[in-house]
Order: sequence, then C-alpha cells, then structure tokens
Amino acid sequence: MEDKLIEVLETLGYPVFLQGSLLEDQPYPDSFFTFWNDSTEGMSFYDDNENAIIWTYGVYFYSTDPLKVNSKLLEIKPLLKKAGFICTGAGYSVRSDEVTHTGRGMDIIYRQAV
Amino acid sequence: MAKRNRGLGFDYNIFADYSERLEALGGDLKEIFTDLLEQTAETVEWDTDSAMAKGNLPRGGKYSTGKTKKAIVKDSRVKWTASTGEIPLGFDWGKNSAAGYLISGTPRMRPNFRLEDMYARKRYMANLVKDMQQFLLDEIEDRMGG
Repeated sequence: MEDKLIEVLETLGYPVFLQGSLLEDQPYPDSFFTFWNDSTEGMSFYDDNENAIIWTYGVYFYSTDPLKVNSKLLEIKPLLKKAGFICTGAGYSVRSDEVTHTGRGMDIIYRQAV
Repeated sequence: MAKRNRGLGFDYNIFADYSERLEALGGDLKEIFTDLLEQTAETVEWDTDSAMAKGNLPRGGKYSTGKTKKAIVKDSRVKWTASTGEIPLGFDWGKNSAAGYLISGTPRMRPNFRLEDMYARKRYMANLVKDMQQFLLDEIEDRMGG
C-alpha cells in the first residue's frame, strides 16, 4: 500500500520520505512530503476471515515556502482520492525539526478488499 | 477514520441507556459519572505518563527538558454546568510542550508509538469506553442486588 501512496505523492515532483527517516545531520530539501502508517484494521469479518483492511496514514508536507505548505496538501488531495484514498478536511499544522520549514499534515485512509 | 485529535473524547450518547437504567434504579447520576470520569482521567494520566518514560522518547530522552511531562493533566476533576460534565484528559494543549509532534513525529523523528497508540488510533479509546461501560453495568447490578 505504501507503493501506491508514494506513487501518488511523487506526482507533484517533490521528494517523499517515511516520517522520521531523515538522519540527524541530513539537511531538509526545500519542500518535501513524508508519510506514516498509523494503523491497519481488519473489517468485514465473515467466517473468521477479514474481507477488508483499513489502512490509516498521516501525510505531511514541509517547505520553506509557507504558500506551498498551505496549498500542496490541498493539491494532492484530489489525486489521492482518484487513487482510491479517502481524504477529508484541509489538514492541520505540524512542527518541523528545522526553523526554516513549516508543515501541514492530513490523515487519509484506504479500504483494501482482501 | 483514526483522527489525530489533539485530545481524547467520546460520544456521551453511548451511555444514554445506562443513564436511564441507573436513574430508574434511583442512582445519583452526577455522583456516578463524576466517579467514572475521574477514574478514567486517572487511567489516561497514568498511561500518558508511562508513554513519556525516557525509553519511549526520541534518542532515549536525551533532549528531554521535562516540559511535555509537565503538560500532562494531573488530578483532573469534573466541572459540571447544569447536567453537562467536562473533564480534561491527557495533555494541557494550552501549555508549551512537545506533545503534538511526539504524536505526529517529524521528518527526523518517528512518532512516539505509545502516544500515537493513545491519541491517534481508535483502539485505546475503544478500550476505555468498554471499561466505562463495565463500570456502569456494575453500578446497575449493585442496585439490582446482583
């Protein structure tokens, strides 16, 4: 499922990382996405078997440009929806390790039939 | 959807049936729910405190200043306005702390698994609600002489 998410996030042309994977001494790119898989949950049980899995992700965008921080998550939202992800709302502020960058995050889910 | 809420909350309507039954059995709802909510708050306080143990913090707590631990709501008490009771749980978001980004992580820091489990996933709150429902069921059974 990560592959599907990364593929969509990469369409805007910014680097994509797993949240927390940048090394301590690794500089931030000017603008980039990160993501984190919060949880997976089995659903639609029948005969002791799950027939669907709900994947929950946090998707984050960080940038030195506050205008991009405000707009890029909203720009990626229709692309994520087209790929089958469920996204609602307009996100929330998140902190960054660097004073040069601000960030915004959005929670998304994907219902996978199994 | 597991929402990354800045606090914990639940729909009180799930306790409506229990309230009706307790009231019919002569229970003092305010007293019962005060007891229930304050016990729940104590559980959340203890769990949040445990999640902030040095071993669970980035770099083993090397950069910890203690500010976030101080933002944990302690000895929480219910405040009643007419028939509505409110009780703060978890973190005092008005205080300056790292709680927000310990839960969501940063590009250089993974989310704190324990805090994420409590504040960003459904399971923790679902288990709390089950415990609360059991508390109310026990109250009902006591009053029925069970």
